[in-house]
Amino acid sequence: MADTTWTTTGEEALFPAKNNRLKFAVGGVLLLAAIVYLIVNAMSGNTQLYKTVGEFYAEQDRLVGRDLRVAGFVLGDSIEYVQIDATTSRLEFDIVDDINNPTQRLHVVAMNEPKPDLLQHEAQALVEGSANENGEFISNPGGLLLKCPTRYEELDPAGHPDGIDTQTGSIN
Amino acid sequence: MIPDLGYLALILALAAAVFAAGAAYYGRHTNQPRWIESARNATIATFPLITISCLLMIYSLVQGDFSVEYVWRVSSRDMPTYLKVTALWGGQAGSLLFWNFLLSIFTAAAMARNWRKQKELMPYAIMVASFTQIFFLGISIFVEHPFARLAAVPADGNGLNPLLRHPGMIIHPPMLYLGFVGFTIPYAFAMSALISGKLDDAWIKITRRWTLVAWLFLSLGLVLGGRWAYDVLGWGGYWAWDPVENASFMPWLAGTAFLHSVMIQEKRNMFKMWNIFLVLLTYCLVIYGTFIVRSGVISSVHSFAQSAIGPLFFAFIAIMFVFSAYWMLKRRVDLHSENRLNSLLSREAAFLYNNFLILAILLVVFLFTNYPIFSELITGEKGFVGPPVYEQALAPLFLLLLLLMGVAPLTMWYRSSAERIGMSLRWPALAALVFIGVLFAVGIRGWGALLGFWVVSFSLILTLLEFWKGTRARMKKGENVFVAYSNLMARNRRRYGGYWIHLGVIVMAFGIIGVEIFQEQTQIRLAVGETASLGRYEMVFLGATRYAGPDDLLITEATVDVYDNGRYVGQLHPRSELYTRTNQPMTIPNARSTITEDFYVLMVNWEPATADQATFRIYLNPLINWVWAGGLIFVIGTLVAAWPDPAVERSLSRRRHPVVTPTD
Repeated sequence: MADTTWTTTGEEALFPAKNNRLKFAVGGVLLLAAIVYLIVNAMSGNTQLYKTVGEFYAEQDRLVGRDLRVAGFVLGDSIEYVQIDATTSRLEFDIVDDINNPTQRLHVVAMNEPKPDLLQHEAQALVEGSANENGEFISNPGGLLLKCPTRYEELDPAGHPDGIDTQTGSIN
Repeated sequence: MIPDLGYLALILALAAAVFAAGAAYYGRHTNQPRWIESARNATIATFPLITISCLLMIYSLVQGDFSVEYVWRVSSRDMPTYLKVTALWGGQAGSLLFWNFLLSIFTAAAMARNWRKQKELMPYAIMVASFTQIFFLGISIFVEHPFARLAAVPADGNGLNPLLRHPGMIIHPPMLYLGFVGFTIPYAFAMSALISGKLDDAWIKITRRWTLVAWLFLSLGLVLGGRWAYDVLGWGGYWAWDPVENASFMPWLAGTAFLHSVMIQEKRNMFKMWNIFLVLLTYCLVIYGTFIVRSGVISSVHSFAQSAIGPLFFAFIAIMFVFSAYWMLKRRVDLHSENRLNSLLSREAAFLYNNFLILAILLVVFLFTNYPIFSELITGEKGFVGPPVYEQALAPLFLLLLLLMGVAPLTMWYRSSAERIGMSLRWPALAALVFIGVLFAVGIRGWGALLGFWVVSFSLILTLLEFWKGTRARMKKGENVFVAYSNLMARNRRRYGGYWIHLGVIVMAFGIIGVEIFQEQTQIRLAVGETASLGRYEMVFLGATRYAGPDDLLITEATVDVYDNGRYVGQLHPRSELYTRTNQPMTIPNARSTITEDFYVLMVNWEPATADQATFRIYLNPLINWVWAGGLIFVIGTLVAAWPDPAVERSLSRRRHPVVTPTD
């Protein structure tokens, strides 16, 4: 550390510093470009569209086959888990936008996925997958995400939904 | 009566906070220290008042006073007492009360600790901290009233969500809250320095210390959250890039960037503006994170109440952001660097690269987390970004950061010689290459994994060499290796504590690469006596039994024998628990943990009627325990670096302030 020319305290910086500023500017732009590339490259073709059940049915033709993340409430009576053979299982259930007015039901099928603990009547499901021509929504592997059932968000006497506010996600 | 007292205590705390802000302002502007002292006392008074409020809430929870809506919502008679206590943060209103309690601890502690030395910064620090308190107390009192009563008293309550009954979940929220809340103090001092124009090195020292404290808790919260997910959620993972997780990760990143760049300011009086910006950014990200978590604005797997507090938080963020930006711009001339970078190969440049990479990671996480909002604004259609996208974009940035972590300590302040650094890197690089060769020879393939392992082993060697070089230098003075190392740590706790933190991150990185790239899983139905295999493990299903557990639990437990390469290594008991009162099942994994991997078994279905068969989901998670071990090393390193050293502080203080008052 014999070099003592660095102690610039005034406005004037040393020559190398000026030179460095240019290098930093060029380097900075290049690095920013690299980050933009990383972001764009990672996202291209890998993002999902987020839809409610109603939104899905409004554009069903366009959305069949697309990678989606659909949100809805689980109808408890529709849940069915069948172990077909030693290595194949099929889990099915319907999700709706409004549990009290289940006009449009989306039929979800998840192959070889365990039945999540939180998969119950009124639980809010986020399903990643895509719809097929038969109107079934096929979950991606590990694409079944469930929020806490509304049992823990019971209506209070004034009718305001409220709930548990700590992590309760179940990812299977 | 009791709940009313709790509510009254909260109202008094709000009054104290309002008084504190007003008195601090008045005292500062009329130059009357008595008013500022009074403001300090009022700020400290919020602590006992909110403590009383919390204790009364805990009393109501333990007594089972179901006339209080919150008590009814989150507890039930059959819950054990410790869970009734922790139900304090089991719901929205209670956790906001708890949040207020932690905030009052931090503000009171900051008053007690920094009052004498930093009198000039105090008035505005009190005002800013009190303003935050007023906001959160206001939410508790006017929006999420924790002591609200029910018209008719129910016989029993709802009970706490079974998923939250895990020890990890009992500790994890308070740690995260402590981390979040703790960042209020550095923000208050940074803002105070800006407003008062006292931008010498005093504020940066206080801010660094408090940031380190908050950062430690946030780190603990993140690690414990991951551990809880791994133990309870039964998906073999620990991090899912969910918006709520990211909400804690983003302020952690900004805080990490600050803790590094602050060193450039301390050493070279550079990057003042940048450091202020990072403190303000961290705080804004804390409030933004709280907003994401509690408003439900972005769809998350985590279930949080969708309540009316969203717009209030949004308004608060906007106010704080504009307020911060205004003062930063107003003081921009005072924040000019007194020096410039001389070399691209210097310690300060290395910190700059570090900051650049961390901020790049932060930017990516921010964009992806908010992608649903941005995509809807731009295309009219809500999109979503899943974990693979995060991993693909972030992996190169994390690897570069790890590389820098190893190389940066070799650089010198002002200017380093490329040749000298090159010499220092040669052998470690080769040793890491040999290690990769060994991994390749034992059958590990995939250029991503090998590159990742090369970078982390390279950084590991360099970090260990830093310890060795320091120890050896002391050994030359005649100390034996243990004494030399102990003295090295004791005399340079900040530096070598920092290297321990680096070691923790490197160990975690080994684990993350291992489990992310080499995780294997299978799902299979077995009849009693049948065998499943995964990797070099075999598992024989011996049977399952059902029995009543504590509380309202009905437990179904499977027994499996586990063989490693044909050698019997023990039994596992994965089980399924059913909370009969709420009909809520929980699948509890059981794992054989070794230093190299976890053999992690879940019983996902049991069919006693049909030939006693059960379906298992089995994961082989290589190096997962390195993630937890790294987390532990990380926390120990932070404690070493952050622990106050009274002797050093006194001597520093004397050096900084030649005129020492008797109270110093």
